[in-house]
Order: sequence, then structure tokens, then C-alpha cells
Amino acid sequence: MHRYPRWPIHVALTGVSFVMLIPFYWVLKTSVTGENIFAYPPSVLPKAPHPFYYVDVWYYIPFARYFLNSVVVSALAVAANVIFNAMAGYALTRDFPAKRFVLLLFLSCMMVPFQATIIPAYLITGRLGLLDSYWGLALPQFSTIVCIFVFKASFDAVPRSLIDAARIDGLSEWRIIWRVMMPLAKGAIATNVILGFIWSWNNFLWPLIVTRSAEMQTLPLGLARFLSYQEDTTGALYAFCIMVLAPGILLFLMAQKEFIRGLTSGATKG
Amino acid sequence: MSDPAETPRWRRSVFNRFVLVPAGIAVAVALWNVYVSTHDHGLVAGRVVDTAGRPVAGATVALWVLNFTTYVEKTRATTDSEGRFVITDNDSHNIRLAAEKPGIGRSPRVPVRLYFRAEDIELREPLVLAASN
Repeated sequence: MHRYPRWPIHVALTGVSFVMLIPFYWVLKTSVTGENIFAYPPSVLPKAPHPFYYVDVWYYIPFARYFLNSVVVSALAVAANVIFNAMAGYALTRDFPAKRFVLLLFLSCMMVPFQATIIPAYLITGRLGLLDSYWGLALPQFSTIVCIFVFKASFDAVPRSLIDAARIDGLSEWRIIWRVMMPLAKGAIATNVILGFIWSWNNFLWPLIVTRSAEMQTLPLGLARFLSYQEDTTGALYAFCIMVLAPGILLFLMAQKEFIRGLTSGATKG
Repeated sequence: MSDPAETPRWRRSVFNRFVLVPAGIAVAVALWNVYVSTHDHGLVAGRVVDTAGRPVAGATVALWVLNFTTYVEKTRATTDSEGRFVITDNDSHNIRLAAEKPGIGRSPRVPVRLYFRAEDIELREPLVLAASN
């Protein structure tokens, strides 16, 4: 039973949500009408909407190829994120010498922007012979510190006695992670999947540097290429944006419950 | 209401949104591709009439296709005695059509947008020849 009515909060949240959704609506509306976004007065409702700008995008550039590249790179990044971050997160729940130093090192490394590490990342990728390849595109996104801490927070919430019981039963550390910890960390897994996917999907700078052939480009690069090809593409450009955004939004909508649970796990005691 | 724990594991693995949504999308894409593969012969059919609505035989219909940024003429067809024409080798998704017959006139270029390349279509509205065009 609530001591005060909740409807004012809901009204306020609805208003804020409405304001935040306006840009998405505008992009969607422009993608089906091609109206000039600077037109005044602006039309709120779409006039004579049609899907042909999406058809244009599909054929103006090799969209299917870019989409496949983005899917493959994102799948690699997501799989590696879940595996490596879970291992690192579990390790950080264990006691070992200089653990505090490692934690501080991780936290301090979060402050180093990716742009500052691009040259060594490029050189390492080149030495490994992975330039212009799916593995090379995904490699720098195989593990992220934020997601490691998401797993660490989730694993910290697992009772120690459960791990001890598993160890007494003869499970190795490896099997404890995959058979005991991971089934209890679905929220953290969902968070890793969503964040890994969105960061990889939207990544522009690294694919720009590491790809050499047009066949290996991803969707964000395709968007830049599309802009360089076409001049008057208001409708098609916005349709392209929708086509790039849609998979990430869909993934988030499917896993938002687990995503929020994963972000908030470990945030409260008790 | 059944207890989720009693639901067989295979059913929980299959009937969840992480499987059903991608599967639904995959089915829709497959159906769309089947439709496309059976309707992509490049046929563009229509009629040519004069301003009174009478069929015009022997009119020349030109097909322009979008070549990156400009439209270029790709092919021509001639109408039969009922004013009908069929173009058989359209490979574009963004085309324009115009008809012409000396002595009667010409039609404006009509933009036609298709849902996929080489889609088979029948124009709903005929091309109207007029002396002023």
C-alpha cells in the first residue's frame, strides 16, 4: 500500500519519455516521407509515407554485406565478452596477491580513452596478421572493464558457501564458473550481451582504421560511405539510420529486464 | 496457472522471446525472399491512352532507370492495338516511364518506385498522351 499517489510520477515519467522519444520519432517519420527536416512549420504527422527510401538504401550500397559484417563482428565481440569478462570477473572475486592493485589498475584503465590506444592496438593487430579481417575488427572489443565489473558484482552476490560446496564436490574453478556462477548471473550475461553488442555495432573509428577493403566494412562505415556518395538523401539517410539502429533497439527491448537486473545487481546490500 | 519449474526444459528453451523473435524475423525474411524470387522477372506492363481515354496503338514507351544520380534510358517498347505495352528487361527498383506517338503527343515521365529490383508490375494508371506535353 502506497502512502502517496503514484500517478504524478507516472505522468512526469511519461512526459520525459515523450520528450526523449521525439528525436527517434522524427528520424522514423523522415525515413518514410523524406521531408526536409528544416521545413517550417514542421509537420508532426507523416504525409504520404512510403517505404521506398529503405529500398534505396538496400540497393545504393551493399547493405546486406555490411550488415553481415556487423553481425559477425558483433557476435564475436559478444561471445568473447561473455567468456573473458566472466573469467576475469570471477578471478576478481577470489583472493590473490595485489588484488587491490589490479582493481585499481582496471579502474584507472577505464579513464584511458580508446583513441589513445589506437596505435598500439593497430600495431598488435597488424603483427597478428588480422588487419582487414573479422577477428581483427572484433579483437579490441573482446573484453571491456565495465563488463568485467558487472560480472564481478554479480558473482560477489553469490553466497560463498555455494562455491565452497561446489569445490568440495570436486568441481574445478573452470567448471565452477560455467556450472555454478553463470546460471546465477543471467542479468550480468544479458548486460554483457547488450553492451558488447551495442558498442561493437556502433563502433566507427576502429573499423575505419583496421579495414582496407570495401567488403570488410561495417554498417557505420557504410553510413559514412553512403553520405559521401549521395548529396540529397534526407529520406534515404534517415532510413539508413533506422536500419542501423533497429537491431540494437530490438536486442535491448528483448533483454531489457535482464539488462536492468544486471546493472543493478550488486548495487544494493541485503 | 502452471508452475514454470514444471515446464519441460526444452519448451522453456524454445518458447522464449530470445528464440521466437529471431525465428519470426527469419521466417518473415524467408517468405519475403520467396516472394521476391517469384516476382522478379523485370516485367513492366501498362496501357497508353489519349486524353479522351482511348487506347493508343503504336506508341513508343521508354523506360528510364536510375543510374546512381541520374536517369538514363534503358529500353523501349511499342503498344499493341489495345494500347498495352510490356517491358521485359527492367532490372531496377527506381524507374520512370514515358510514352510518345508522333501526331498525338507525349506523356509526362511517370516515376515508378518498386519494392525490389526487377519487380513485376502492372501500372494502375495508364500513360496519357497529350499534345501539350
